[in-house]
Amino acid sequence: MGFQDLKRLLQLVLIALIIGAGLLPAQDLDRTIEFQFGGRAIVVPRFGPRFEVLPVLELMGAEAGYSPAAGTFIVVWGERSIQFAIDHKMVLIDGTLQEARDAPAASPGGVAVSLTFLDRSLLSPMDHHLEPIPGGYRIVPGARFADPVTVRPAAADFGATTTLLLSLSRPAEVLVEETPAGAVVVRFEDASPQLDSTVPFRSRRVHSLTSRNQTIELALASGVGLLSWHVVEDPPRVIVELGIASPTPTPAPVQVVRRTGPRPIVIDPGHGGDDVGARSADGLMEKDLVLGIAHRLKRVLEARGHPVRLTREDDVHRALTDRTALANRLEARVFISLHANASTVASVSGAETYYMSLDQSSTDAEAAATADLENRAGAASGERSPLDLILWDLAQAEVLNESADLALALQGRLNALLGLRDRGVKQAPFVVLTGATMPAALVEVGFLSNPSQASLLAQPTRQQELAEAIADGVEDFVRR
Amino acid sequence: MSWRVALIALAVVAAVALLAWLLHGGGPQPVQQVLPSEELPTPTPAPEQRIVLLFPGGDGLLHPELRTVPFPKEPHARIRVVMRELLAGPAATPRLAPVIPYEAELNAVFVDSDGNAFIDLTAPPDSLQGSSTELLLAYGVVDSILLNCPTISAVQILFGGHEVGTLTGHLDLSKPLVLNKRFIAAS
Ligand SMILES: [Zn+2]
Repeated sequence: MGFQDLKRLLQLVLIALIIGAGLLPAQDLDRTIEFQFGGRAIVVPRFGPRFEVLPVLELMGAEAGYSPAAGTFIVVWGERSIQFAIDHKMVLIDGTLQEARDAPAASPGGVAVSLTFLDRSLLSPMDHHLEPIPGGYRIVPGARFADPVTVRPAAADFGATTTLLLSLSRPAEVLVEETPAGAVVVRFEDASPQLDSTVPFRSRRVHSLTSRNQTIELALASGVGLLSWHVVEDPPRVIVELGIASPTPTPAPVQVVRRTGPRPIVIDPGHGGDDVGARSADGLMEKDLVLGIAHRLKRVLEARGHPVRLTREDDVHRALTDRTALANRLEARVFISLHANASTVASVSGAETYYMSLDQSSTDAEAAATADLENRAGAASGERSPLDLILWDLAQAEVLNESADLALALQGRLNALLGLRDRGVKQAPFVVLTGATMPAALVEVGFLSNPSQASLLAQPTRQQELAEAIADGVEDFVRR
Repeated sequence: MSWRVALIALAVVAAVALLAWLLHGGGPQPVQQVLPSEELPTPTPAPEQRIVLLFPGGDGLLHPELRTVPFPKEPHARIRVVMRELLAGPAATPRLAPVIPYEAELNAVFVDSDGNAFIDLTAPPDSLQGSSTELLLAYGVVDSILLNCPTISAVQILFGGHEVGTLTGHLDLSKPLVLNKRFIAAS
């Protein structure tokens, strides 16, 4: 007898011992699990979280067994071929690698897998799924993940943070988490995400997105981490806030705001500091007027039970993009930027409401401009490249109809207060509304360049009336 | 006659011709094409065309003013005509205001291969204020150009040779703007 024969004999003895050991617990009813398929049923041994899987697959009529040539177990079901191996999380489905949650283990019957592995990695590609029954499971037709989710990414790079917007083709259960290695992963509980690559994606802080099995992995710039995330139902989308995770001494440190409780209404008093905005003939400044109205509006809304945050509490300068970024980080329910107007024509008067215009990103113009923009993006000075701006617009595109409703609600209340003929709500690409991920509008409360309107706006009673009208408009919108 | 004889004959003819040409003075002579005077191309004036110009009114909206001017075909030249007429200010309707609310000149016009036009105007004074001022300046220029120049798809206004983020802190002027009729008064 040669060495090879001896080795083979030892292997057989070992296998016999393992099978013998495995058969004993199989007698124990607590250590079995029943599977039903069609009118038939089978009881298989269970080893902790795993159970013998080959008999289950045979019950379904699939060809299943170990292939020494492939070094894997192979399941053949109609046209479909699934390969998996002991102690490996990778599953080959028709030649495409997928990662399972856990790995199969060696068992007396050949191989044991978890219920999750059977359901997600084996039955799902075979267009079946598990349904619990007393003492076991029924295998029923229909893949649990038959309907993949298409994910369209867009990013808005702000001064210190990035808002990543993932628009989903259908609602899905999602979990965003930071792995111990520092990677950020978007996990889909019940779906395989498919990234829509037809839209150009670029962000300073998110280098790439990769969909794998039930996750999307974000490759982030160094030092960038997860600040917060939330899911919005209608339309379904995931909003992820990313930024420098560890506090480092920078000229403009990131104000990491973690929202607790209900989503706030964010009010943005325009201008501030050196930027005084418009100014009336007798010296009333836009920055002071809108700050006063913002504080009044905050008090009115809070008295009515709405949490409110201001982008500036006093007379300080804030970059336009920081204001939008704060609203995004706070996951604001509504974002309203308050301004007072000025015209070179002194007779012009009235209050107006604006919302974002996506004219720049209309698809044909975008397609034509993309190549050029990509070239120019490299040479662009400052922190925003033209391509970033297109993507910012996409963030607002998702909620544009809601922004229109918000603007109409606000203007309706302002018209009622001021007895205005309807000047109509208008759209234009305002910097402060660009990249907002929530319904957003800009309100011009009146013209400081018009002397009679300026003196009216200077009155505290009128400021209170304006604050109450805007609060009414916000409530009209949120209670639709 | 064999081919060989033919080739030699051809070479001799060529050599004689070359010799004659060299004796004649050599090198190319300037070609003087003298056309009869009535066939000389004279610059034809651009055909007259009615163009629409937008100027701010007392209601805070843009109002059209029609003007008939010689209007060339070439987009670049067209933009210059539109801008010249805009900068000249409103004429027919005295109640309208200038679209550029300060002393401004057109420094340059560029048109790229995607149909984006870039208009460089004199830098504005610091005193400009209000979103209305910004909106009417921007769309007065952008819409006037786009309504008269069908081959142009978007217009970016530069000031003093520089790209600006915004003029008074509201409108995004950092990229070309497309036609936005929302600020044009309904007739
Ligand atoms: Zn303002």
